[in-house]
Amino acid sequence: MGHSGGNRPLQSQLPSPHWELALGPKPGSPGAERPRGAAVRPMPWFARNPSRAARCRGTCPWPTSPAPASLLRVGSSVGRPQPEEVVSSLQKYNADYDLSARQGADTLAFMSLLQGKLLPVLIHTFWVDAKNYVEHTRKWYAEAIPFPLNFFLPSRMHKQHLERLQLVCGEGCLDNEEELEKELYREARECLTLLSQRLGTQTFFFGDSPASLDAFVFSYLAPLLKAKLPSGNLHQHLKSLPNLCNYCNSILSLYFPWDGGDPLPSAPKVSASDSSDGEEESYKWSNQILSVLVGLGAMIGYAVLSGIVSIRRGTPEHARPIPMDDEDEEEED
Amino acid sequence: PSAMYVMLFFCFQAFLQMCSLPVQVVCRANAEYMSPSGKFGRISVVSPVLPLVLERILCGHSLSDGLDEVQKAEMKAYMELVNNMLLTAELYLQWCDDATVEEITHPRYGSPYPWPLNRILAYQKQWEVRRKMKAIGWAGKSLDQVFEDVDQCCQALSQRLGTQPYFFNKKPTELDALVFGHLFTILTTELSSDELSERVKTYSNLLAFCRRIEQNYFEGHAKDIPASVTSRSSRSLLMS
Repeated sequence: MGHSGGNRPLQSQLPSPHWELALGPKPGSPGAERPRGAAVRPMPWFARNPSRAARCRGTCPWPTSPAPASLLRVGSSVGRPQPEEVVSSLQKYNADYDLSARQGADTLAFMSLLQGKLLPVLIHTFWVDAKNYVEHTRKWYAEAIPFPLNFFLPSRMHKQHLERLQLVCGEGCLDNEEELEKELYREARECLTLLSQRLGTQTFFFGDSPASLDAFVFSYLAPLLKAKLPSGNLHQHLKSLPNLCNYCNSILSLYFPWDGGDPLPSAPKVSASDSSDGEEESYKWSNQILSVLVGLGAMIGYAVLSGIVSIRRGTPEHARPIPMDDEDEEEED
Repeated sequence: PSAMYVMLFFCFQAFLQMCSLPVQVVCRANAEYMSPSGKFGRISVVSPVLPLVLERILCGHSLSDGLDEVQKAEMKAYMELVNNMLLTAELYLQWCDDATVEEITHPRYGSPYPWPLNRILAYQKQWEVRRKMKAIGWAGKSLDQVFEDVDQCCQALSQRLGTQPYFFNKKPTELDALVFGHLFTILTTELSSDELSERVKTYSNLLAFCRRIEQNYFEGHAKDIPASVTSRSSRSLLMS
């Protein structure tokens, strides 16, 4: 979880195949490390003193078990972890201890709203929409996943997301993709409007201090707002809701101050061009090695098939049987 | 009919009664296949009021007209919570719990059809549901985890309802109809284990809410509910 990413923008960090969370200091404090998963990073900083988390028990509609370790690795090598898994695993760092029972219930309800209405659209936007997938998502993941997995994991994830969308939306949904798209985007626009209405003029969903719902909502809105998608239908609608845009930008400036600005104090000051050059250099090397191997394989294959090189199986000289003396004598007779 | 359509039946009937619309119930074995999407069984509404129903449901004139924008947002969120958690849990219990599948779901689901169609259709439905559960990440859940999810959902609903007669104070909304449909089905449908209904019964305000809606909207309409709609003999909550 080092700083190999240099000073990459937020969008290049969001879907890295392993999301690692540093539970601990705020950015700027000594020992703060750079996250690779923007959607889950705010949670520990939203959370107040862990020892006060017990206040929430009895009012929150979910258990508040402590996080098992100070460093948490979430998800497998394929796909991103679900934000609710991350939030529930961070219950020791409870951002909801100030909330009433009713606000706790609202949190659960709005999380469900996002999962039901916005998640299918995120899957469609990033994985099903052909233009976005080819020009953006596949490249994005291929850069984040180490060689040689980056050649086949994105397409495998693409298939998984297609299957999931098909199962969630109904068997024949992908046959009539225009209708599906209309329906999904209509529901997502409605969901964003509802979120905007619920947020109103507040800084966060439950007043002036952030809660787990804010981390959850941010994890869905940030990719839509910040990813440079070739066809961003929903991006336009999100832009038309100024309070949600301001909300995302305020979280970015509060909890991700190094994005688009200075890197973290603990990170080595590497210029963006240097880091990108380094990355390009490593990709060049891997591509060169791969092309050399493919070329060698092709040449050897051609040589064998055309008969330039022939492989014979014969017994070597030293392996031939040595005739016995008495046998020689018999032959002479 | 399967418990899913019982739930839909109660949701729709509660909604129509709340809109003060007369409703005629016709039981059909193939209700599942009547709608184009396959998601809803048909509810045959008395013909003169059909345009009114469509106007009310589709054209924005609904039970939630009295709510402000924030309340509407909250109502939609809670409806999504019910659909995400309660509906999925009901599907899981009916089709992924082996004991319930063998004892109740397969015989009930296949009852309108002759052999071997009853077995084929039941297995086909089970396969569909299990694939969907896998897609949404519920396939690996144990029964206890599912009950825990239902508990979470009921606790959230209970806290939202509080001591009010309905979720948004004194007037019923679509959320009230939806929650009633689900809870009433859970409380009155026979499963291999009573644990789910017992868990719901621990929330006294939700139980009182179901009784209230049954009294206000279903008491005079008992004749409209065919005996075959639920499998439990003591269907009424008023008696419990």
